[in-house]
Amino acid sequence: MDPLLDIQNLSLVFDTFDGTYHAIDDVSLSLKPGEALGLVGETGCGKSVLTRAAFGLVPSPPARITQGSVKLDGMELLGLSDRALRQVRGRQVAMIFQDPMTYLNPVFKVGTQLVDAIRAQHGGAIDRKAAREIALDMLEKVHLPNPLRQFESYPHELSGGMRQRILIAMALAARPKLLIADEPTTALDVTIQAQILDLMAELVDDMNLSMIMISHDLGVVAQVCSRVAVMYAGKIVEDAPIRDIFDSPLHPYTQGLLGALPHPFRPADDLESIPGNLPDLLDPPPGCRFAGRCTYRRPECTVPISLENVEPGHSVACVLRPGEAATTDSATKDLNHA
Amino acid sequence: MLKLIAKRMGLMVVMLLGLAVITFTVANIAPGDPARLAAGPDANQEMVEQIRVERGFDRPLPVRFVLYIEQLLNGDFGTSVYTGRPVAKDIAQFLPATVELVLFSISIAILLGVPLGVIAAVRQNRPIDHAIRLLSVSGVALPMFWLGLMLQWYLALNLDLFPLGGRLGIFSDVPEPITGMISLDAVLRGQFAVVGEALWHMILPATALSLPALAAIIRVNRAEMLEVLGRDYVTNARAQGIGPWRIIAVYSLKNAILPTLAMIGLRFGWMLGGTVLVEGVFDFPGLGLYAAKAAISSDFEPIMAVTLTLGAAFMLINLVIDLLYAVLDPRVRNQI
Repeated sequence: MDPLLDIQNLSLVFDTFDGTYHAIDDVSLSLKPGEALGLVGETGCGKSVLTRAAFGLVPSPPARITQGSVKLDGMELLGLSDRALRQVRGRQVAMIFQDPMTYLNPVFKVGTQLVDAIRAQHGGAIDRKAAREIALDMLEKVHLPNPLRQFESYPHELSGGMRQRILIAMALAARPKLLIADEPTTALDVTIQAQILDLMAELVDDMNLSMIMISHDLGVVAQVCSRVAVMYAGKIVEDAPIRDIFDSPLHPYTQGLLGALPHPFRPADDLESIPGNLPDLLDPPPGCRFAGRCTYRRPECTVPISLENVEPGHSVACVLRPGEAATTDSATKDLNHA
Repeated sequence: MLKLIAKRMGLMVVMLLGLAVITFTVANIAPGDPARLAAGPDANQEMVEQIRVERGFDRPLPVRFVLYIEQLLNGDFGTSVYTGRPVAKDIAQFLPATVELVLFSISIAILLGVPLGVIAAVRQNRPIDHAIRLLSVSGVALPMFWLGLMLQWYLALNLDLFPLGGRLGIFSDVPEPITGMISLDAVLRGQFAVVGEALWHMILPATALSLPALAAIIRVNRAEMLEVLGRDYVTNARAQGIGPWRIIAVYSLKNAILPTLAMIGLRFGWMLGGTVLVEGVFDFPGLGLYAAKAAISSDFEPIMAVTLTLGAAFMLINLVIDLLYAVLDPRVRNQI
C-alpha cells in the first residue's frame, strides 16, 4: 500500500544569531493509511518541529528547510503556496496540541472559533449555519456533556479536559485523513488523560484516521499506537513496531528511555536516568549524535550513520546489531554504572 | 457592571478631592499676591488690603480650601480676574474646542497607530518595520510645541498649505452652537463647507498633539502583536487552515488591542495636558490656551477649575477604557 504520509531525507535548520541550529537532520518517516505511529523523544529532540515543518507551520525565517520531500497521498507539500498549504492543513491533516489551556483564543466564544475553523476547513464553501450544525455534531461526538452550552462558552469557563475535547472536535470536524496529536495529554491530569486517550482511540477507529502521536511518554504511546519512531537530537534513531520497542530495543537511547519509564511495581529510586545532555545542535557531532552519552561507544560511531532495516519493520541507526548489545535490563544497569 | 460604574464614580470624587488639594496648594504657594492681582495695577495699598479681606485671602490656607470646596459644591467656580466673567461660563465656552481637538487628535493616533503597529509586527525587521520605527521614535523624541512651531512655520507660513491658527477663517459662517464643537455643529446644521474648514484648521495642531500618542500606540501595539502572533492559539488557528488576514486582523488584534487600549487611555491624559502648549502655538481658543493665560496672570480660580475639569475628563475616559476592556475580554467581564 502506498504511504499516506511520506517524509524523505528532510533537514531543517534555524538561522540564529549564534549560528545555524540543525534541528532536523536527514529524517525519513512514512505512515501507511490507518496506521497509528508514536513519535517519541525527549524535549527539544525535534519531534514537534518535524511534524509542524512538514505542513508549513514553522515560521520561516528563522527556519529553513535545506533538503528533503514531504508527500501527502502522493502530493509534494514542500514548495506549495501558503494558500494551498492552508487547504491541506484544514481539510486533510488535523492537529491537536499539548496544552488545551493555551490553544483556544481567550477572547472569542468556543462556538465562534469552531465555526471559523470549520468554514476555513471547507475553504469558505459553507455558511455559518451549516458550520454551526457540524460544530454541534462534533461536540456531541467528543462526548461533551452539553454541546449547546459549551458552544456558547468562552474558553476560560471550561476545564482543561473539556477544552481538549473541543480542540479535538475542531481538528476532526473536516474528517481529515491524518491526525497529528502533539502531546495531547501531557498537560492533563491522569484520569482526564486516560479519558482523552480513550476518546482519541475511539475516534481514530470510527473515522478511519491515520495518526502520528507525539509524546515523550512511551506508556501513553503504547496505549494507542502500533508503531514507534524514536527521535534523538533531530534524528530518528529507531523505528519499530511497538512490541519490538518494548521487547527488543536495539538503540542504546531507546533502551535508556525504557529504563527511565516509571513502573507501578518498581520503586522510584530504581528509575534510570541517561547521563549527559543533548549535543550542541549548533555544531552537531558528525557521526551518531548519541555517541557522547552512549555506553557502547566505538571508534566507528564518529562516522555518519543512517537508519538501516535490521528486521522486518524494524530499523535502527546504530552500529550495534541484535545480540551484540546486552538486553534492556543489563543495558540500563551498565548505563547506571557508566 | 453598574456596580463597577458606581464604585468608580465614588472613587473619582475622592481622586478629584486629592487633585483639588494639590492644585490648591501649588497655586497658593506660587509667588504673587492674589489680592494685588485682583485689585489691579492702579490700586493703592488700602484697596489691596480691602480686597484681601473681602475675598478671604487673609485667612489660613486650610480654611480657604474648605471654603473653596463649599463654593464648588454650590456649583460656583468663581470669577476669572483675567476675563472678568464667571469661570463656569468660560469653561463652557472653551471646553468644547479642546474636546474637539483632542478627540480629533486621538482618532488620528488610533486610526494610524493601530494598523501601523500591526504592519510593523507582521513585517518584523523588514524595511517597512524600520520605517515605522523611525516614525515612532521621532514621535517620542520630538517635543510637541517644537513640532507645532515647525509645522506652523514650514507648512502654514512658508508653503501656505494650512491656516496659521484659530478654529475657522474670519469670514466663515460659524454654525449656531449645539455642542460647541464646530465641526460637529456644522455637520448637525448641514453646513458641510464649514466642516471641512474646521477640520482643516485642526490638522496642524492635531498632528503636533497626536504624534507622541501615535508613537506610543505603534510601539505598544507592535510589541503586543508580536507576542500574540507567537501564541499557541494562533498556531492552532493556522493549523485549522484559517487565512492570514482573519488571523491577524481578528484573532490576534482583538487580543493585542487590550494593552494598547490602556496606553490610549494614558495618552488621552497627556493630550489634555498637551493642549496647553499646542493651543498656545496655534492660537486655538480652547481650555489649554485659557489655562495658560490664567496661569501667566496667576488667575487662581480658573486654574483650579481647568485642572479639575481636565482631571475629571481624564478619569471619565479611563472609566470608559475599563468598560471597553470588559466588552472586549470575557475574562475581565466575569470579574466585574
